[in-house]
Amino acid sequence: MKHEFLASLLLFGLASAANAEPFKCPHVGGDLVFGQEANINTLDQMASATISTRNIAMNIYETLMTRDENNNPILELASAMTEAPDHLTFTFKLRPNIVFHNGKKMTSADVVASFDRYAKVGNQRSILNNVKGWDAPDAETFVIHMKVAQPTFIESLSSFSVPIVIIPAEERDVPAMQLTKPIGTGPFELVESVPGSFVKLKRYDGYQPNTAFEQKTGFGGYKQACLDTVTFRIVTEPGARVAGLKTGELQAVEDLPTKSVPDLKKDPNITILPLLNWWIQIAIPNTSAPPTDNVTFRRAVQAALDMDEIMDAASDGNYKLNVGFQYPNQPDYTDAGKATYNLKDPALAKKLLAESGYHNEPVVLLTDKDYAPMYNSALVMQQELQAVGINAQMKVVDWPTSVQMSQVSDTSWNFFFTGWGTQPALGALATMQFLADPNAVYRPKGDKGDPELIAAWNDMNNLPEAKDRQAAYAKMQQITLEKVFAIPFGSLTKVQGTRANVKGFVPFRIPRMSNVWFSN
Amino acid sequence: MTDEDDRRTHPAWDTPRRLLHHRLFVLGLMLFAIVAIAAILAPWIAPTDPNKLAMRFKFRPPSEEFLFGTDNFGRSLWSRVIWGARLSMLIGSSVVAINAVAGTLIGALAGYFRWLDNGLMRVNDALMAFPAVLLAIAVTAVLGPSIADVIIALGLVYTPRTARIVRASVIVLREMEYVQAAIAAGAGHGRILRRHILPNAMAPLIVQLSFLFAVAVLTEATLSFLGVGAVPPTPTWGNIMAEGRQYISDAPWIIAIPGLALMITVLGLNLLGDGLRDVLDPRLRIQP
Amino acid sequence: MLGVLIRRVLGALPVLAIVSLITFGMIHMIPGDPAAAIAGMSATAEQIANIRTDLGLDQPVLDQLWHWYANLAHGDLGRSLLLGIPVMTATLQRLPVTLALSAYALVLTLVLGLGSGIVAALKRNTWIDQAAMVLAMIGISLPNFYLGLLMIILFAVDLGWLPTGGYVPLWQNPIGWLATSTMPAISLALLLAGLLARITRSTMLEVLRQDYIRTANAKGLPRRQVVLKHALANALIPITTVVGIIISLLISGAVVTETLFSIPGIGQLLTQAVLNRDYPMVQGGLLLTTALLVLINIGIDVCYALLDPRIRYDG
Repeated sequence: MKHEFLASLLLFGLASAANAEPFKCPHVGGDLVFGQEANINTLDQMASATISTRNIAMNIYETLMTRDENNNPILELASAMTEAPDHLTFTFKLRPNIVFHNGKKMTSADVVASFDRYAKVGNQRSILNNVKGWDAPDAETFVIHMKVAQPTFIESLSSFSVPIVIIPAEERDVPAMQLTKPIGTGPFELVESVPGSFVKLKRYDGYQPNTAFEQKTGFGGYKQACLDTVTFRIVTEPGARVAGLKTGELQAVEDLPTKSVPDLKKDPNITILPLLNWWIQIAIPNTSAPPTDNVTFRRAVQAALDMDEIMDAASDGNYKLNVGFQYPNQPDYTDAGKATYNLKDPALAKKLLAESGYHNEPVVLLTDKDYAPMYNSALVMQQELQAVGINAQMKVVDWPTSVQMSQVSDTSWNFFFTGWGTQPALGALATMQFLADPNAVYRPKGDKGDPELIAAWNDMNNLPEAKDRQAAYAKMQQITLEKVFAIPFGSLTKVQGTRANVKGFVPFRIPRMSNVWFSN
Repeated sequence: MTDEDDRRTHPAWDTPRRLLHHRLFVLGLMLFAIVAIAAILAPWIAPTDPNKLAMRFKFRPPSEEFLFGTDNFGRSLWSRVIWGARLSMLIGSSVVAINAVAGTLIGALAGYFRWLDNGLMRVNDALMAFPAVLLAIAVTAVLGPSIADVIIALGLVYTPRTARIVRASVIVLREMEYVQAAIAAGAGHGRILRRHILPNAMAPLIVQLSFLFAVAVLTEATLSFLGVGAVPPTPTWGNIMAEGRQYISDAPWIIAIPGLALMITVLGLNLLGDGLRDVLDPRLRIQP
Repeated sequence: MLGVLIRRVLGALPVLAIVSLITFGMIHMIPGDPAAAIAGMSATAEQIANIRTDLGLDQPVLDQLWHWYANLAHGDLGRSLLLGIPVMTATLQRLPVTLALSAYALVLTLVLGLGSGIVAALKRNTWIDQAAMVLAMIGISLPNFYLGLLMIILFAVDLGWLPTGGYVPLWQNPIGWLATSTMPAISLALLLAGLLARITRSTMLEVLRQDYIRTANAKGLPRRQVVLKHALANALIPITTVVGIIISLLISGAVVTETLFSIPGIGQLLTQAVLNRDYPMVQGGLLLTTALLVLINIGIDVCYALLDPRIRYDG
């Protein structure tokens, strides 16, 4: 990761020197209404891991570092970063002339305050566990001091899951979830927020784009607000989002049900934008509860599964088969363990079943009725298991209950159905965290994970060379798939849509409103 | 003796005869019977497993092969609706049973023993103050989403109303001369309740219970439709309609048919209830 | 009169106290983790745990109950976990929506119900009477969400006259409000109109038999005057009690209708709150709704007393 990051920094530097033609809005103006599928409970980005909050907040806020279109760490509010030879100090030079939405100039004091607040209320403050402290030697410099060297620190720091957004120093002591009027440095500023209804943003005229880039990339890059205003309207009913897009009441929509796509494709006023690899549909075994405590039994289950059939039902046909926990377009991708994937071999399954000594014990598939992909994949898996003689039973509850149950090792479930979205998008490290101690999702006995797996995990974190860490990841994926600590079914495609006159909207982990314009 | 006294002191053996002469009662009975019999005969007339997936048959409209068509998983709607009838009958009768026992007990106690009345009725009113559907949602959420839990939840939600009705009758009956005479003669409370009061409080109770059956079936369907009743893939009519809702334009039969079944059941029970009321307790009668 | 009112309100207080206790107890007994609901699908265990702490959900239950009552004492209903705004604000935002819809439905109910009930009573035993009563019967047997779905299929999907759902506030665009509220209002009103029609007819018939009506007729007063002045006025009394029941059923019915038609009212707010374990919202919202219903019922009793001098002094 680190070498790639430095390389990309160099490339961008060269590119910007050679071809300094940054993005210019072909047309400025217009009010865009975006149909968002989920409610938001706060705009306090530091305290929230929710996708719906991030959708909006990351158009308002910016961070020290973030990720580009291919998930590599890049600088955003910093213009340069140097790592000390002993890897214990990171020095950031801040970009000059950045002004907050309230007119105040950004200095290193604000960055210090932001980190202070994050350490207290940050929803993922554990990323600072290896950090000794931070300070600001002068108004343009911010320094982080580490307790121990952590090769993956920059990767964590630039993560977009719960980013360390830069806020004015005055807001340092605002308690968690209570930052109701976000003031950031981003291309859009908040106008009005009506919970349960909509959030309205408008162009921030004092925005300073990052001249180290020419285009928007990932969460950063060269951003411009071409639109006058953007209204994120909460439209929880899929049918209403489709209807809104058709009538033009909504100019862009976060999620369209697959069934509506063929009809919408015929409409010349609508552009369909599939977003591949939105999440990995997955089932996690409970290795503390029989019979899933037996690896041969788990392998029998794995052998019986037909991933196409499962993913087809889960996504109404909108999916891609995928080996492992990263996607082919990501730098960390590996197909290690592919010999275990999509076997659809009932004969092998029955053979392994006999070997495992299975005697018709009930196998509980814990799923929820709130997310159709979870429910549908469980239903199909149940059928496929029953077909090879496994007594598979469904336990359907609602999402909050299923999460609660999945965190307990008792014998009330054998397979938990869920989706991994943000973590695979962040990278291999974030994803494999689910399988690490403590509280590994496959509920190892005594909360002590498989030693081989843990060794690979430690290597992933601690080996100094990036390519060694990548090799450790491949090993960890292979062990996970061969010992069936997780069963990834495939990746789900999310379908977004805009009106045909909306240009520049490129689907990503959040709806990026920068560098988006109306063509008329 | 007047007609009313006559009815009070002699069990009305001629009631069934009068019921069968009541046109609307008979109509209601027939409608309800269709559903009930279909429910009982489910294993024979709908032998296909209502939960069996068959993706290659999905979204078939009603035809000779699939009388009611199929849904998005290719499951036979005929099977699901018939087995759904079974569940509706089960739920309706269980809720009625719970109400009959608990409602009578609470209502009788409150109406007969004045010192119990205040306390019991306060809690009763508190429960009745909640909008029924919301209370049902909350209780089901607490107990869990199985059929048994839904039955308990509905029993809990509607018992206060039944109790009120029994209580009203008991209060009036307690003041009757022959009851006062029995008390003066030293008869025990239990005996008085059993022999004199309760049998004569039955009429309004029976009418209420027949409407309650309909309400229970309807509320259960509403709960499943909202996604808070028995969990899918249990084929309750509400669940079938809920799952079919997203396919409303492609496969409207998934919604239309169970809804029709629901309507027939409720209509039949309402007509039944009307008829019972006309015959058993003309004071409550809607004029002919 | 005032005495009756005060006594009624005071009598309602213990009921509300019990309601609040039941609500708190119930919502906290529901399994499932509100922090998981809020954090969404991709959250890690650490993220969920932090949210739980931030929202004070890891405190012992009795502490939470005590805090809630303490805040209740000075009018603070707490903050919705899911929406992030005060419970009172959220309720007040949604209440007008439900009230507008209920008012629309109530108007339809009264017009249809009273209208057909009166006509049926006057034209007793003719085909008009039979037809009205059959329709009323069908009305009370048709599940309101089924009716809603059928209307959506016909008017929205097939004919495209009305939208499939959503809501336009009345003050923003009256035509849009009518368009989005008509199907929900009808699906709510039909059942209630059926009920009202049957009871109106029955009461009217009862009243029309009375001696004073026969006297008025014998005196040669125009039929219309007889009906409107005497019969209707006396029939209003029992009908008023039914209206109380109808209002309570409206709120219940609103839960389903709002969910079906995606209308952001109180019914939908509370349903979502229960499903997402939004403890403060359920506690506060249910308490407010129940209090409102109790008040409405007291109001109905007052109207009843005003209309019928016989019971005015009985309390």
